[in-house]
Amino acid sequence: MNNIALGRYLPLNTYTHHLDPRYKILGMLLLMVSVFLPAGFIGYGIIGAFVLLALVLTKIKLKMIVKSMKPLLFMLSFLMVINLLVIRTGYVVFSFNGFTIYSDALFQTLYIAIRLTLMIIITTLLTVSTKPLDLTLGIEDLLSPFKKVGFPAHEVAMMISIALRFIPTLIDETNRIMKAQASRGVDLKEGTFKEKIMAILSLIVPLFVSSFQRAEELADAMEARGYIVAAPRTRYKQLKPTYRDALMMVAVLALLGTVIWLSL
Amino acid sequence: MPIAFEKVNYQYAPNTPFAYEALKNIDLAFELGKITAIIGPTGSGKSTLVQHLNALLLPSKGTVLVLDRTITHTDKPKELKSLRKRVGLVFQFPEYQLFEETILKDVMFGPLNFKVDEATAKVQALDALKMVGLDESFAEKSPLDISGGQKRRVAIAGILAINPDVLVLDEPTAGLDPQGSKAMMELFVRLNKDHGKTILVVTHDMEHVINYCDNVVVMAEGEVLTHQLVGDYFERKQQIESIKMNLPQLLAFKEALIAGGFDLNTPMRTLDDLADAIAMELSR
Repeated sequence: MNNIALGRYLPLNTYTHHLDPRYKILGMLLLMVSVFLPAGFIGYGIIGAFVLLALVLTKIKLKMIVKSMKPLLFMLSFLMVINLLVIRTGYVVFSFNGFTIYSDALFQTLYIAIRLTLMIIITTLLTVSTKPLDLTLGIEDLLSPFKKVGFPAHEVAMMISIALRFIPTLIDETNRIMKAQASRGVDLKEGTFKEKIMAILSLIVPLFVSSFQRAEELADAMEARGYIVAAPRTRYKQLKPTYRDALMMVAVLALLGTVIWLSL
Repeated sequence: MPIAFEKVNYQYAPNTPFAYEALKNIDLAFELGKITAIIGPTGSGKSTLVQHLNALLLPSKGTVLVLDRTITHTDKPKELKSLRKRVGLVFQFPEYQLFEETILKDVMFGPLNFKVDEATAKVQALDALKMVGLDESFAEKSPLDISGGQKRRVAIAGILAINPDVLVLDEPTAGLDPQGSKAMMELFVRLNKDHGKTILVVTHDMEHVINYCDNVVVMAEGEVLTHQLVGDYFERKQQIESIKMNLPQLLAFKEALIAGGFDLNTPMRTLDDLADAIAMELSR
């Protein structure tokens, strides 16, 4: 449970950390768009170089990225098998006993692998360098134009920030209950099917019970402090873009432009 | 068959920016058949220490000897289950671990996990419930429908039913009313005296230490400051104040009497000791 490196905020003092969360989110979205444009391998090379630069600027070790990619390997190999069986275009790369592998299948798999990897690195960059609270402030601001059509931007942001706030709490709680049940002889890895079901139940039921309790307590605490859902409210932390944000946006837009041009 | 820590270090989240050394070079041996209190300020490593006793945490460095087992960081989880049958660990606020439909089933859960047959498990569970002061009328109730104090007792019964040789409790009386916590501590004394169980209890309550425990281990910042007989420990007021704990009421009262001119220098643990000493002093 301690090795959930992916998406966890790291308190560092870097260029990326000092960016305005609103522009950071926008920048990440534009990068995502560029990842999904069919710009070929040259395009991915350029995006890769850009992302690598961003990693260096955020002082994230490549080792950490590789480690958080491991769970993906299974999914990728699964995709690979499906692609190899389904896609039957391009030239034949390999043939054995009526079993043929086509070039497009290989390329398709490679594309998906690259896209997934880039996407994960890009989102990791955002979450590693932005406090969850700043992230929701950014989301709230970006969604605020939709308030005019009745979209509850503040409420959505509040829900997201509460959800984010409770992830570490839930992880701690899960760890605690797992240990408590392990002390009662629960073994999540060994045992018959029935025993495993019981083991999972012994974890999930207490987790649900305490989550509901927590939710109720939080609601009470918020009401006790005068929280009213639709009330207008001011904000302690004001977001102000700086030259850094301008620089980042220009770079991202330039990248997106290049990729669009390449994919025409 | 000792319980001992040898040069044990424990680090949380190693090799990350969050790395934190919770135990530093711990050398410690617990006496079997006694009640030992573990005290110290929050964050001193008490909970981390006790989780080594049934191998929920493996030492980052060093070895832990528990009964006939040696635990190092290379141990496999599979081989550790047998240890957990012999060392029962009750966590802080254990009532959150209840999950079964009925109290009886919940208490039977532990023994069944350790491959005790259904009938024996039921007998052990009912015994354990009786020990914590819950009669058979509770057996078929839901563990979520009873009071907080009763839930706590059910959770402790859940460990007692496994019938471990060593019982480790992390702040078992936190949040209980005074009567409930007194009954709880008296239960541990009974388990120790009548059933010969070794008891290790993490506590913040100095009254419990002086009233019920034989030995005391004092921790601060991941290190063991001292390990003494309870009587000896409380003889030196500075020791207790240095870890920001209060003297037990009895000793605070004694100190006040000494400050007021009484000559009371005999060691004392109970109210009777104090009364005798005062009577002696007055009759002199």
